[in-house]
Amino acid sequence: MSSENKTIKFDALIVGAGIAGGEAALNLANSGYKVLLVEKERSIGGKMILLSKVFPTLDCSACITTPKVSEIARHKNITIFTESEVTDISKTADNDFIAHITKKPRYVHVEDCTACQLCEKACPVSVRDQYQYGLIGRKAAFIPFSIANPKAAAIDIENCTLCGACEKVCPTSCIDFTMETEYFELHAKTVIMASGFSLFDPLEIPRYGYERYKNVITSMQMEREIAPTRPYNTILRPGDGKVPDKIAYVLCVGSRDQTVGNPICSQICCMYSIKQAQLLMGALPMADVTIYYINIRSFGKGFEEFYQQAKGMGVNFVKGKVGKISELENGNLILRYEDISEGVVKEAEHDMVVLSVGAKSNPSVANIFQEGRLKFDPYNFIAQSDLMGSPSKTSIEGVFVAGTATGPMDIPDSILSAGSASSDAISYLIQHETV
Amino acid sequence: METKTGKTAKYLRDKQGVPEHVKDELKEFNRIKRAITEALKTEDLTIAQLSEQLNMSKPDVTYYVMSLVKYGVLAVGEIDDMDEYYTYKLVK
Repeated sequence: MSSENKTIKFDALIVGAGIAGGEAALNLANSGYKVLLVEKERSIGGKMILLSKVFPTLDCSACITTPKVSEIARHKNITIFTESEVTDISKTADNDFIAHITKKPRYVHVEDCTACQLCEKACPVSVRDQYQYGLIGRKAAFIPFSIANPKAAAIDIENCTLCGACEKVCPTSCIDFTMETEYFELHAKTVIMASGFSLFDPLEIPRYGYERYKNVITSMQMEREIAPTRPYNTILRPGDGKVPDKIAYVLCVGSRDQTVGNPICSQICCMYSIKQAQLLMGALPMADVTIYYINIRSFGKGFEEFYQQAKGMGVNFVKGKVGKISELENGNLILRYEDISEGVVKEAEHDMVVLSVGAKSNPSVANIFQEGRLKFDPYNFIAQSDLMGSPSKTSIEGVFVAGTATGPMDIPDSILSAGSASSDAISYLIQHETV
Repeated sequence: METKTGKTAKYLRDKQGVPEHVKDELKEFNRIKRAITEALKTEDLTIAQLSEQLNMSKPDVTYYVMSLVKYGVLAVGEIDDMDEYYTYKLVK
């Protein structure tokens, strides 16, 4: 049985292998430190690896992320645990943290898998694909997505019928249902929390009709629809497969909204919506795209120009707060909104609505530190103990924070934040080196 | 471990069994797959036409048709004159 803890030692533990965690890992590893990168998903790369393009440059997101995750995966000083969770961390001395890690079985020996996808073809099961945000199915034996890293099959054991079809066709015999959960006790000298953020669940605002009205989708679902590895052959309504020609964006869904307990700005929604609107104008030249907003916050480098560019392309901006969405028999949607500039309530018909959902804290790290010594801000993001002086420092000396674990931010800021966290971690390691 | 490489599914099946809902969902998928492929044997159809023929909701038909396209069972056909709806066809 594998229920016994295996003891392992690394210089640094990084919780979360998104773009911030990966960047911090590379910085530490390039400085000669041994890093354990722990990721709960089946692939590293976080949310960025699933994006279509990035704002405001419209560079291909996968083209930026893929070389970076390959470098992380190949680095001799970085060990990656995917499908793993840090259950608890305690600090026993200045340079000794003890963490317990649970590593779920993938049921595939990654080093032997050639990603031939024969198992996927043989698998009879079809379930909703979480990496396509439920828009399409996937098999129980599957490669998470085409640019996943590690690019290897995995078995979704909760939906597997254990028919053995995948094993029979596997040319390298890398599928192994005898794999079991592994438990590790890690000793590390420093910790970086790069646990990211979670997306607001629009089911919390029933008046927008998400899931009830199938042509109301989230911004991440639209992100998948416009990505090169999209679920459909083109952009379609999930309600009936129609090519949409009048698309609405509702901004600030679950952010700047005290009624759902998240009064803060998510910082990214305005710009990713403007980005998607521009991409939609390119993909569907005849489509009308309207963005309903409270304020456009184009605060970053090149953001205002990007906003103006969208206006120039013909994206329609309406300063209006959407109160309610209702559905017509043909699947079209009626948006009832307050036109703020005219001060009147209006209605408009669209055939597809995208809810630009906000960013919230990642709840899974709330109780990770023993004795609750890691402090959080009022919105449950990890608190920075010295925001102006050393923004990556937390309430525990030797524990640093990177990326959106501190609060909503865009990709360049996440990478900068990871640089700061890794720099502080290296400094801490040097100061606490044992002779 | 006595379990032979390439035949380990049986080991886990004997150890923990397969939940009934997983078996039921597989049956349901196979039933819908069969219904869709039967309907497309005679002519290419849109999601709306399939929905009417199969008495299934359009969102469900969309989901299953798109999944079957991904699995290589179906292919995307022509788009209508209004550039709104594609037809779907069997992969021969």
